[in-house]
Amino acid sequence: MDAVFDLATLRGAARVAGFTWTDEELEALRPVIQASLRLLATLDTLPLDAVEPTTQYRIL
Amino acid sequence: MSADLAFAPVADLARMIARKEVSPVEVVRVHLERIAALDATLRAYITVCDEAALAAARAAESALAAGRPVGALHGVPVALKDLYDTAGVRTTGGSKILADRVPEADATVVRRLKEAGAIVLGKLHMVEFAYGPEGLNAHHGAPRNPWDAAAARMPGGSSSGSGVAVAAGLAPAALGSDTGGSIRIPASLCGITGLKPTYGRVSRAGVLPLAWSMDHVGPMTRTVADSALLLRVMAGYDPADATTSVLPVPDYLAALSGDVKGLRVGLLRSFFLESATPEVRAAVETAAKALEKAGAILDEVALPAVAHVGAASYAVVASEALAYHTGWLKSRPTDYDPEVRKRLQLGAFITGAHYVRGQQVRALVRNEVDAALARRDVLLAPATPLTAPRLDERQTTLGDGPSEVRGALIRLTRPFNFSGHPACAVPCGFSTGGLPIGMQLVGRPFDEATVLRAADAYQRLTDWHTRRPVLA
Repeated sequence: MDAVFDLATLRGAARVAGFTWTDEELEALRPVIQASLRLLATLDTLPLDAVEPTTQYRIL
Repeated sequence: MSADLAFAPVADLARMIARKEVSPVEVVRVHLERIAALDATLRAYITVCDEAALAAARAAESALAAGRPVGALHGVPVALKDLYDTAGVRTTGGSKILADRVPEADATVVRRLKEAGAIVLGKLHMVEFAYGPEGLNAHHGAPRNPWDAAAARMPGGSSSGSGVAVAAGLAPAALGSDTGGSIRIPASLCGITGLKPTYGRVSRAGVLPLAWSMDHVGPMTRTVADSALLLRVMAGYDPADATTSVLPVPDYLAALSGDVKGLRVGLLRSFFLESATPEVRAAVETAAKALEKAGAILDEVALPAVAHVGAASYAVVASEALAYHTGWLKSRPTDYDPEVRKRLQLGAFITGAHYVRGQQVRALVRNEVDAALARRDVLLAPATPLTAPRLDERQTTLGDGPSEVRGALIRLTRPFNFSGHPACAVPCGFSTGGLPIGMQLVGRPFDEATVLRAADAYQRLTDWHTRRPVLA
């Protein structure tokens, strides 16, 4: 079941990131945010615990 | 003669100019005349440097007359996506925010092109700040795909003007940039060659970023040989870009033997061919058979981890893009195209953990592509799973079902931005509606020579890259 975020939650998250966006803007963004968070949640299902993240690119 | 010069390969132009068979002034003038005649419809250029280009051409002509030594691109005009810094010439990034920005210095690759004798014709249209694959731009209008300008089809992006200019004979060569496919997508949709080199092969210094760890810069030309020629000039270590490699730059032109006997080609069916429309799939399968008939050893290979590239690269690109744009997003939010602003805003809802997860997937994908290439020389796949959609098209149907156009366009190119491997898109057919179809060849890190050899050999077997759009 998807988490559903209300405007207050989105407003708070935006502020944590340093932005003050209007409720109108956040309301317009809400379905896209939901979709993007659904997409990102798929990463949590992957067996990645033993995988070292790419932090230094392969420069020769 | 004019049309011949406008569609002559860079290598031929350079040779004819060096032998004084044609004047660089004439070559530049032919292109400026075509731009004047056609660009009101095609919209490839944001800025045309007509006076400066003609002055540079006259200087190039004088140098030849004086017998001075000349570079590999002496007198050859090129055009630049409008995110390459150009000293004294505005560099907008396709944006309103940087509409009046005039850099003081050239980007490293622009300087290298000029040192080799190239002449900058102008700056090319692009998606605002390179954030989108369709080729749309709310500020400047969208360039038109020259293969069907009347129906207003997408040129692909974000290097939209680069694809259009080269395909329509408004520049013999252009530079693009590729964060999720922005060189290879317009190359595929416009029927030209586009090379995304290995990450670290070409300096990004002086190029406006979208996402630092995914951005690649490279040439867009009509032939593979021309891309090889430009890459040789552009590539190499640059102290101004810490991610550039110190590996020596080979003579890519010398690698173009035309021979693919024994070359091991891995056809990417799962995820790649399977998602292509039937016409695209058939064209790429036919290309694979042509390479096999010429002596290549063909097999099929799968890259299961690429199924997660969409989510993982979104976490990386959106985070890096937001980091770059935070200041303007706060101070000038209404100066962005609303669609681009929305994409940037979404980055605020991605956590640091998401970003690291993305980088973990990146390691998986990179290792998987490396493993596939341990027993093969190149991988072969469609560059885009579809031909050019109309500018107003938002939904499409691929080989594996319905898809948003935006996601469809970047689906097959993005994995190799994520992994950093070199990839070259070349035309491999036309749809029944007359639109170009593109495929991509992917190689080992820093082995552009083999990628270019395979792609060039394919162009010697076919004539798709020699076809020209009919323009009013």
